[in-house]
Amino acid sequence: MRSATATRRPLISDADFLKFRDFFYRKTGIHFDESKRYFVDKRLVERIEATGADDFRSYFVGLRFESGGAELQELVNTMTVNETYFFRETYQFDCMVNDMLAEITRQRRPGSRIRIWSVPSSTGEEPYSIAIYLLERWRQIDDYEVEILSSDIDTQVLRQAERGVYSPRSVGQLPKPLLDKYFTRTGGGDWAISRDLVAAVEFSRVNLTDPADTRRFRDIDLIFCRNLLIYFDDLSRRVAAEAMFDAMSPGGFVCLGHSESMSRISPLFQVRRFADAMVYQKPLEGGRP
Amino acid sequence: MGLRKPAAREALHEVVERALPRDIEGLCAQLHLGNEAERRWAARDLAGVAAAVPVLGRRLRDEADPRVREALFTSLCASAGEAAVDELLPLLRGDDAQLRNGAIEALAAMPRAVGPRIAALLRDADPDVRILTVNLLGELRHEQVTPWLLQVLREDAEVNVVAAAIEVLAEVGGPEHVPALHDAVRRFPADPFIAFAAEAAAGRAGGG
Repeated sequence: MRSATATRRPLISDADFLKFRDFFYRKTGIHFDESKRYFVDKRLVERIEATGADDFRSYFVGLRFESGGAELQELVNTMTVNETYFFRETYQFDCMVNDMLAEITRQRRPGSRIRIWSVPSSTGEEPYSIAIYLLERWRQIDDYEVEILSSDIDTQVLRQAERGVYSPRSVGQLPKPLLDKYFTRTGGGDWAISRDLVAAVEFSRVNLTDPADTRRFRDIDLIFCRNLLIYFDDLSRRVAAEAMFDAMSPGGFVCLGHSESMSRISPLFQVRRFADAMVYQKPLEGGRP
Repeated sequence: MGLRKPAAREALHEVVERALPRDIEGLCAQLHLGNEAERRWAARDLAGVAAAVPVLGRRLRDEADPRVREALFTSLCASAGEAAVDELLPLLRGDDAQLRNGAIEALAAMPRAVGPRIAALLRDADPDVRILTVNLLGELRHEQVTPWLLQVLREDAEVNVVAAAIEVLAEVGGPEHVPALHDAVRRFPADPFIAFAAEAAAGRAGGG
């Protein structure tokens, strides 16, 4: 028979929460304010119990000093909500059509190519959202040839992306006129995206941390790499930043997730603050990182 | 115009023709001979290649371009081990802040390899090296971090080194380390900053 103390759940004190919050922020850039206290405590307790640690203190010491970073990764997975849908975090798409593309095209002749890379593609919601945004909200779309590349390490999600069928929840943020314009209802109640859009995106399998995969990518003007790096360990983040830097044209931009910071990963990029979003830029030729 | 699907060979084109073969010898030579982009690619291609670690380290000491330096550091991280530590530690004694900071970040990424060197670094005659070592401890995931910090509090004669250790202990320590903080204050009675830092650290450690 187990004693009452053996089944008692670990408690997270105010001091524990603050200590954990500082640590987690430095490692991931994710900041939890007091309103997230219940969410954080609940998941911390889950991890403390899953690892068999006696209490927060022993768990935190183990977390901080583990060499491989595996538990930190588990914790990150637990603390982040991995979901994607059309028109997610549109402030960066607004920044794309309002500011970044204007800078990119400033030195380009009409008719020249602009190359955008969405990685990870997941099941395609992001690259297709970019395509719709460009068609609907970028006035110069007819003046340039825009190529959208999209990559993921998971071939299963790539197949789903190319299939292009989405649940009502996935398209829930799309304005109705755009839903009607670019999607058709399937018999099962899902939404199939226009085959023209599927045909406009080049999907490929890429491991962002493998130079053999990424060396083929060149002359990228704009990268959307959102909510991926938080799942990487420190070395992989550095390698991914190196890969993006070498894949980009000088003056190109990187958009990360709202909780991610390139400044904590690599000094190669410059921070640019636009009206809609803060993004990272590869310096123009001659510029220093 | 508008959206255009790229032909595979255009979007994912092959690497341009190379002046040197893509083997270890060729890449090591390219580290010294190529332009900035070529040197970066050579550094990245040598990531995880044990035989190239001394070459990457040598290049780091001569390389002036920060973009290439970054690739060199990342590739040394991918080859974490004693040889990489041997190449990175001398950078802590240099005048170049970017190299010093880059070395600390890279060393922090290889806790198993750098761990056996910490004791000697904390005894280094140069207090700046000891401060940088304490800064490294602040980033290092190693079970000995707290004992090393307590050793600094007990033994280091230089107030700035102790102050740096207090700052790190404020984050990693607990209530059981408050007496060590008070002992450090008594070692430097004439220094009000140590008293202030120790009090703040004790508060954060839960014993203030």
